[in-house]
Amino acid sequence: MKTEVRHESDVTVVTVDGSVDALTAPDLARAIIDEIAEGRVDLVVDLTGVEFMSSAGLRTLLGAVKESRSHGGDLRIASTNPGVDKVLKMSGFHTIAKVFTSHSDAVASFGS
Amino acid sequence: MANHHRITRAAYLESLSDFREFIKEHCKDLPGVTDEILYDLQLAVDEACTNIITHGYADMSPGSVILDLELHPHKLTLSLTDFGHSFEPSNTPTPDVSASIEERELGGFGLFFISQSVDEVDYEVTEDGNTMRLTKYLTEEKNDENRSPA
Repeated sequence: MKTEVRHESDVTVVTVDGSVDALTAPDLARAIIDEIAEGRVDLVVDLTGVEFMSSAGLRTLLGAVKESRSHGGDLRIASTNPGVDKVLKMSGFHTIAKVFTSHSDAVASFGS
Repeated sequence: MANHHRITRAAYLESLSDFREFIKEHCKDLPGVTDEILYDLQLAVDEACTNIITHGYADMSPGSVILDLELHPHKLTLSLTDFGHSFEPSNTPTPDVSASIEERELGGFGLFFISQSVDEVDYEVTEDGNTMRLTKYLTEEKNDENRSPA
């Protein structure tokens, strides 16, 4: 798994590639928590390059949503992989956080 | 006759990708295995292996995780065997997927995802180890001749 962090105006985009499992999820958590600690509390996690995500990845995302909101921000997802979407839906994640099919839509949603 | 494949790895999180690749290698081109089914199989195996690695072998030296894959004409069976601590599946709470973010437990989805991804889950503890047996049917027909009547 690889993560890349960049800033698009006031939104932090964390782009993830590869597989998010119990081995790699802690690295994703660290990347997100580091941003929130720096005061960048509006985040998009771009999962469009993720080929596999387990409950370990889901747990990380749920924790990150909680953390960003506790600091007055929000965390939104971009996802296109049907398997990743299924994991999000099975857990009810869609009822908790906003999920978009492109990272540009997810970023733009913070301005609306 | 069923085709049988086996992979054995040490119970480390680094082994998870090997188990997922094993499933992909042997199941990807099978008739009836769609991309969705392939993901289901990889997810179920990943979650089961993660539970074994993080809970089964907790507080002890990591032993082996054995995955046996049997390919039948209309179903696949995946048997995961370990030699660590056993558990009681019926004592594992089902996560509340409708809970709000404030009320929600972050974890506890592993067994739930397994049950959602395959058709049958059996768990057996014997002196030869703990075995979780997962069955996935590849067609709508579930009247395999080996199934016991309800």
